[in-house]
Amino acid sequence: MDIINIPILKIEDFLIASIQVALYDMQAIQFKDAVLQKIYDSKAKGVIIDLTATDVLDSFVGRLISDIAAMARLMGTTVVITGLQPAVAITLVELGLELPGVTTALNLEKGIAKLRQITEKNADGNA
Amino acid sequence: MAMPKVINIQSDLDIVAARMAARDMAKAMGFGAIDQARIATAISELARNIYLYAGEGTVTVSEVQQGIRKGLEVICDDQGPGIEDISLVMTDGYTTSKGMGMGMPGARRLMDDFEIISIVGEGTKITCRKWKR
Ligand SMILES: Nc1ncnc2c1ncn2[C@@H]1O[C@H](COP(=O)(O)OP(=O)(O)O)[C@@H](O)[C@H]1O
Ligand SMILES: [Mg+2]
Repeated sequence: MDIINIPILKIEDFLIASIQVALYDMQAIQFKDAVLQKIYDSKAKGVIIDLTATDVLDSFVGRLISDIAAMARLMGTTVVITGLQPAVAITLVELGLELPGVTTALNLEKGIAKLRQITEKNADGNA
Repeated sequence: MAMPKVINIQSDLDIVAARMAARDMAKAMGFGAIDQARIATAISELARNIYLYAGEGTVTVSEVQQGIRKGLEVICDDQGPGIEDISLVMTDGYTTSKGMGMGMPGARRLMDDFEIISIVGEGTKITCRKWKR
């Protein structure tokens, strides 16, 4: 069986995973498990999943991304998806998937800014 | 005209192979980036359905011509259980596998032509096409 090799980097309080290759279904499931485990182990406050290199997003992977965001939220962590190509965004909507509950940003830089904003607001709310 | 390409679907690896073959042909035919994504996504959905519900089957991608217009045709063929109620499976959200239930109706929206022939106990054949504008 193929084992995925998507590095999940930790920068400050955030995790960053960039998907660079087309994932088979099994690998996509492994990726979900790996991200959730890494959130738990690293106590990250936020996660960015960068899809800049992704040119096809079908309902299987779309559902996994929604699941990762929902599960991370239960663990107290925010997920931001970055870099959706225009063709991928158009196709997702036409397919009927709008990824409700998933926070997105145009690119990695804006994604980090958004995560900072969200995690600072959460910290204020808890103070 | 490009040679038709047949991809055997037996595992999740073949789903990726099928959509890549469709995308490559779409690109070679001069389809734009958005149509390439539409075609690849539709094929990903239909190939996964073969893998999930029929176990195995084939996806055939070919170039077709009708008068002056050119198109890309994808035929998804399996000898699986067949579909009893076609209008039901074409409904958004209908699933028998705790899926999203968006594959069939979504693929129809992403392609231009979409025809299903299915016989319970014999199998399913879906023919879909995207025409170049
Ligand atoms: N090739 C097939 N053979 C038999 N049944 C199928 C096939 N493709 C789809 N179906 C049926 O149609 C339903 C809807 O398919 P789809 O819209 O792709 O949603 P999902 O795969 O998420 O359930 C499936 O749950 C399955 O019952
Ligand atoms: Mg499906």
